[in-house]
Amino acid sequence: MTPTEIAVAVLIAGGVFFTFVAGVGLLRLPDVYTRTHSASKSDTLGAGLALAAVAVTFGADLPTVKAALLVLFMFVTNPTAAHAIARAAADQGIEPWTVDDDESGGGNE
Amino acid sequence: MSLVPDILLAGASAFILISLVVLYRVLDGPTMQDRVIAVNAIGTNIVVILALVGAATDTPAALDIAIVYALLNFLMSIAISKFTVERGGVL
Amino acid sequence: MSGGSSLLVPVEDSVTLRQTVAHAVGRARDADGAVTLHFVCPVSERPLGGEDSAVAGEAEELLDRVAVWADEDLGEEPTRVTVETAVVGADVYLFNPGDYADVLVAYARRNDVDTVVLDPEFNPLGMAPLLPPLERELEGAGLAVELAPVDRATRRGPLTRPAGLDQFALLFGSTFGFYLLIAGTLTPFNLATGAVTATIVAAVLRRISTQGSVELGQLAGRVARMVVYVPYLLWEIVKANVDIAKVVLHPRLPIDPAVVEFDAAVWSELPATTLANSITLTPGTLTVDVTQRHFTVHSLTKGARSDLLAGSLERAVRFVFYGRTAMRLPTPAERGETPDGSVDGAGTDEPEEVRSAVERVEVDADSGGGDE
Repeated sequence: MTPTEIAVAVLIAGGVFFTFVAGVGLLRLPDVYTRTHSASKSDTLGAGLALAAVAVTFGADLPTVKAALLVLFMFVTNPTAAHAIARAAADQGIEPWTVDDDESGGGNE
Repeated sequence: MSLVPDILLAGASAFILISLVVLYRVLDGPTMQDRVIAVNAIGTNIVVILALVGAATDTPAALDIAIVYALLNFLMSIAISKFTVERGGVL
Repeated sequence: MSGGSSLLVPVEDSVTLRQTVAHAVGRARDADGAVTLHFVCPVSERPLGGEDSAVAGEAEELLDRVAVWADEDLGEEPTRVTVETAVVGADVYLFNPGDYADVLVAYARRNDVDTVVLDPEFNPLGMAPLLPPLERELEGAGLAVELAPVDRATRRGPLTRPAGLDQFALLFGSTFGFYLLIAGTLTPFNLATGAVTATIVAAVLRRISTQGSVELGQLAGRVARMVVYVPYLLWEIVKANVDIAKVVLHPRLPIDPAVVEFDAAVWSELPATTLANSITLTPGTLTVDVTQRHFTVHSLTKGARSDLLAGSLERAVRFVFYGRTAMRLPTPAERGETPDGSVDGAGTDEPEEVRSAVERVEVDADSGGGDE
């Protein structure tokens, strides 16, 4: 394996791992706000790592700059979108889930 | 010869699988915002998949498409959030 | 418009007050030389007595709010505008427009004011039109009077802001650069279409996309500090994600979500946006709402909450936008616990913008304490 291959493999593995965490979080977490956490943070880092792998693949060239631009763009827009959604949820009066809700209402440990 | 395209394609397929799982949240809801978050996450994954496939097949133009898709994805989230606040929901 | 001019703005709690303040500040900023802005709240003596102190307190509160707005509009760049507030007339019974004019003119004489900016909704008498006679009286006393151009239909802040050639050039440059980056070549065709596109974008959006004046030195400083900030932020993001991954993949899902609210010591839109986004990206915290400086943050775990109030992120954002001296401002936790003592260590060599920032924190902490 060449250094490039190792770097790409590590970055892709990291990207897939964090995106996987984001997916699991989206399914497992109890309410809108907590799911937004998972989607905004883990997904952004996962995408960032995967796009870093893309940048490494293209080498020092214009596409690398574009990939970097894409990463930058995602790091700005993903939290903004998450914030917009969370605020929309708050405006609609959706109450955040707390630990007490689980003890009184839920049965899954 | 090089393993890089294979690694990239393997990564892309993993992203596709995760997106399919997240699709459950889009269908299940229960609230509007859950769906928007899930669609947004899938959109982010699609951007990554576009870039990965582009890199694997050595098609730099795919990155331009990815950038435009990322823009649209962001606008979608903002527009729907705004809409649900001012109009009480679109779906 | 020579040096040392002053503007007098009578204030009263009206729907257009915010816009009037913005207009007055903009006017003061555009003027040549140093300008002093006097925000004055006329309060009448109550013949029946009893509630004087309550009325005076309300007036003080209103003036505090106006001062905060004015500082906000002045932005973080040092300007030659000074803001002063005062309550007048508390010992006189103000009955008709002439009384108000007398009180205002007396204040104007004392403070060398030559121009009065009036809020169109200014009407403390709450009855028959006060404005036209008041305007006449003030003009009769040799003062220049003008009405603030406010839009009464909307209560939102204005979407567009005044913009000149600077803003156009900045927007044109960045749009053109982005266009050429995507195009990837410098062929005449790309240069021509890019220039046309950038011109259209800059012409249409310059009054929406930019805020305040363009200062290349400041911009370069911010970009340079941003370069320092990004690796720090990336490291924080990675740490945050490892934490989240642990929590999410843990079989028992050990989360303890809660909503915290706090006032951040950042001013104006861009720093607040940067801080909000940084908060969202890092340790288990998600910005739900930002109103001016008041942040509502949803946090996933207990650890995340204490990290947030420890304020290292906020400090880093201040470093990016206001420079190193601003880092020494107190953290949210400190501000919450010791509103008075914690700002003493801020030193004496700091630029004016930071000093006024510290003062605003104190004002804020004081008013916060009063509510309890």
